[in-house]
Amino acid sequence: MRPGKLIPAVFGLLAVSFLLLPLLVILPLAFTSSLFLIYPIPSFSLRWFDVLVTNPVWRAAIVNSLIIGIGTTILSTVLGGLASLGLREKLRFVSAPLSTLFLLPMVVPAVVLGVGLQILYARFGLSSTYLGMIIAHTVIAIPLVMVSVTNSLQGMDSRLELAAASLGAGPAATLLHVTLPLAMPGILTGAVLAFAVSLDEVVLNIFLAGPGQRTIARQMFAELRDNISPAIAAAAFLFIAGTIVLMALVLLMRRRVGGTAS
Amino acid sequence: MMARLWNRRTRAFLLVMPMALFIAVFFVWPLVIMVKQSVSDTAVLQILPRTADEVAGWDRASPPSEAMQAALIADLRAATDEKAVGDMVRRLNSAQSGFRTLMSKTISAVAKPETGPLLAPVDKRWMQPPYWIAIADALEPRTDRYLLAAVDLERDATGDITQMPEGSSANRLIFGRTFWIAGLVTLFCVLIGYPYALLIAASTGTTRAILLAAVLLPLWTSLLVRTAAWFILLQEQGLINGFLLSTGVIASPLALIFNRTGVVIAMTHVLLPLMVLPIYSVLVTIPTNLMPAATSLGAHPLRAFVHVMLPLSLRGVVSGMLLVFMTAVGYYITPALVGGAGDQMISAIIAFYSTQTANWSMASALGMVLLAITLVLYVVYAQLSGRNSIGGRM
Amino acid sequence: MADFHIRLDGVTKTYGSLRVVDNLRLDIIRGEFLSLLGPSGSGKTTILMMLAGFQDASEGTIYVDGNMINDIPSHKRNMGVVFQSYALFPHMSVAQNVAFPLKMRGFGRSDIRERVERALDMVQLSTMKDRKPSQLSGGQQQRVALARALVFEPGVVLMDEPLGALDKQLREQMQLDIRELHARLGLTIVFVTHDQSEALTMSDRIAVFNKGRIEQIDTPRMIYDHPATRFVAEFIGETNLMEGEIAGREGDEAMVRLSDGCMMRVRARDGLERGAKVLVTIRPEKVELSDPPAAANSFPVTVSDTIYQGDHFRVQLQGAGQRFIARRDRRAAEWPQGARLHATFAADDCWVIAP
Repeated sequence: MRPGKLIPAVFGLLAVSFLLLPLLVILPLAFTSSLFLIYPIPSFSLRWFDVLVTNPVWRAAIVNSLIIGIGTTILSTVLGGLASLGLREKLRFVSAPLSTLFLLPMVVPAVVLGVGLQILYARFGLSSTYLGMIIAHTVIAIPLVMVSVTNSLQGMDSRLELAAASLGAGPAATLLHVTLPLAMPGILTGAVLAFAVSLDEVVLNIFLAGPGQRTIARQMFAELRDNISPAIAAAAFLFIAGTIVLMALVLLMRRRVGGTAS
Repeated sequence: MMARLWNRRTRAFLLVMPMALFIAVFFVWPLVIMVKQSVSDTAVLQILPRTADEVAGWDRASPPSEAMQAALIADLRAATDEKAVGDMVRRLNSAQSGFRTLMSKTISAVAKPETGPLLAPVDKRWMQPPYWIAIADALEPRTDRYLLAAVDLERDATGDITQMPEGSSANRLIFGRTFWIAGLVTLFCVLIGYPYALLIAASTGTTRAILLAAVLLPLWTSLLVRTAAWFILLQEQGLINGFLLSTGVIASPLALIFNRTGVVIAMTHVLLPLMVLPIYSVLVTIPTNLMPAATSLGAHPLRAFVHVMLPLSLRGVVSGMLLVFMTAVGYYITPALVGGAGDQMISAIIAFYSTQTANWSMASALGMVLLAITLVLYVVYAQLSGRNSIGGRM
Repeated sequence: MADFHIRLDGVTKTYGSLRVVDNLRLDIIRGEFLSLLGPSGSGKTTILMMLAGFQDASEGTIYVDGNMINDIPSHKRNMGVVFQSYALFPHMSVAQNVAFPLKMRGFGRSDIRERVERALDMVQLSTMKDRKPSQLSGGQQQRVALARALVFEPGVVLMDEPLGALDKQLREQMQLDIRELHARLGLTIVFVTHDQSEALTMSDRIAVFNKGRIEQIDTPRMIYDHPATRFVAEFIGETNLMEGEIAGREGDEAMVRLSDGCMMRVRARDGLERGAKVLVTIRPEKVELSDPPAAANSFPVTVSDTIYQGDHFRVQLQGAGQRFIARRDRRAAEWPQGARLHATFAADDCWVIAP
């Protein structure tokens, strides 16, 4: 090979390994029989998955993650979905600033939001409650829901809704039979992203949650700091497997919803 | 006709309303509270409201009036929250030394019903104006001391802004470190990310799909999982050291974790997709025939790159750099896990004040500085890449 | 009062300072096929949008069957609309698309099935009913859109350049199909197009639009043969224009003195006073070319180019101080460039309009 082709190829290979190697490295350790999170793996075992399910701390963390994650998904998808629909009506000096505002939680550092919410929650007794955690996660999940729902609404031919109206569908029927089904891929993507954000969130959990609301991510964070056990790898395996399953679900739904050739 | 327009707007308004309310209450309001907290100082005012009323009319020179003394005794008798009283004493003592002993003596004295209405019998010092001046100053509910302290400044006895004494605060050091680490990470991200984005844009078919997937997969993977993965790679008995030892490149394990190296490596990995995607999205809009056109006009490929590709893709590069820097500046998790004590960034300090010492004023002041920096970077970024395009983050 | 189905009275649509539709008065007769023809930006689509209720008129009133409908929302107007890109619901099958308006009107299940069946039969798509729109060709999608707009038996069907996306052959076939449907169902159809030949083929009447106003509304034949304004003369087909002024009248005919001094006989119209500035129009196919001069209305011309166009020759001429175009039968002799001929304009074929 000429150096003109060799150099990019080698660089590409190195960069891809840099990006992917860490993800590949952690997966086998989920099945180690060792007490330590290191290679080599003495023999394969499912003991660390067993720990996740039987150890009360991990078990509580999984349950908490599901409660908070599902709550966040529902709240942020409903709020974000409605707002995306409403923001299609372009009002000067209103719509654009509002859409920017709704994206800002993605920009503000988590610790800053954490400090503010901590003071607010102290006043209203929301500290160390599930509701408080769901609200906090919803704040940071909203931009992702907004982006994906807005994108799918913008990609939609606006004449379809006019067509529905001309065929006798009122605003509610148009929303139900035309707009929502067509926006569904975006809504689903938004919901999955919201769930993923909640699942992975640690900083707000440190600021706002009590021991009763420890999530998997928070538990992994704590374990990484203190006693590093392969339970982390097992949890990571679940995370990655969960991500793949959710993404596959979304792709499947998209295919089912749309024979949407543009 | 107007009625129909009004209907449409009402519908839109009703749809947006819940979200607007939610964001106002749980996003805007917390930030406003934080801003207010960073300039508020109510530790003394909270305990001494009656004294505040009386001190307001005092000339700051004559001996304290009887009303002032009586008010102070009444306030101290009414105070029940021991922690709040402790905060007040600490605050007063920092302004005027000797307050700690004076206050504890006075508090135990006012507990007895026979004390009062004058304070001279309790302690002669109560007749000296400086103690009352300290109280009067500390009663002011607005203060810039936390904001000043956030950048290692304070007011001296005359009210001028001065440097804090060496070694009493390290916020500037930590801000400097935060920028340095964020800058290093941005540099490494652009060094790897720009050529990588060029490579994706230049490739086709399966190669392109693989290169893109390699960027997107980490982006979709949990931040904690990725950090844990670097843990496995970088630790003393980790894979990298194991590989280097077994090949004989090194004789003893390298220190790769709990130090700056580990932080920069892990953060570069975590943030690299945020560099590659904005650059790539600009590169794909550049017509593919420009480079051949330039070379056909006689430019050496390298010159063609510098004069054609680089200027055209610069917008994406700068967007990516701003995005990475902006995100890196606020990072907490990765430095907390793979960094050492000397690698903690400003977020860790804010978390410390907020969750360990409940010093919300200090946490808020530092948070204000971080928020301001982030927002400035965001405004530049948004100008550069067009509104609403932080969607690139996904 | 004639049987006006729809009446637009003083309808105006403004966007900021732009008047897209300007004080429009238009009566649409029950059962007619009316084309709104004009260049893009002339306001024709905006009128359709206002009729369908997608846009509000800034001023003026729209009546259907004598009732004002300005405040009736589009889903209660009961007008079928066929959109430029069909706007078929991509997530529904062909049958579901066609059933949609019936479902919205609360028809019974078996009634819906029967009507959908009939509508799809009418457009010859019965075999496609379970396909998704994306699995159909452009022409098939077009016919589904037509079936969907007709299935609920609306009194009025509005069509917004429905054939624009089809290739020429299919478009011509669909033109005939729609014409036949119109005749069979007795619908009132308002058809927006920028394609003059489409408008000429299909319409009972054509309204020619320019800058938000109607330049002329009449039958295709009148529009072509007797354009009311220079805009209409130039927009519909090709034409030759000659400037001149009325020099006198003789019964059915008027004399026009052209700018270079030649005299020309034209068909007289009311209101042409002596001395009035006019434009004389004559269609290229009406220009007679001959070697020896004919009796009257004959001018010496020089052939500057002859272009073969398949079914005819297009002859470019120079004479009387300006250019002319003539359209000649292919059997006609092919005159060489520079040939000197005489062009003859029959007085009956010359039509005079205001400049």
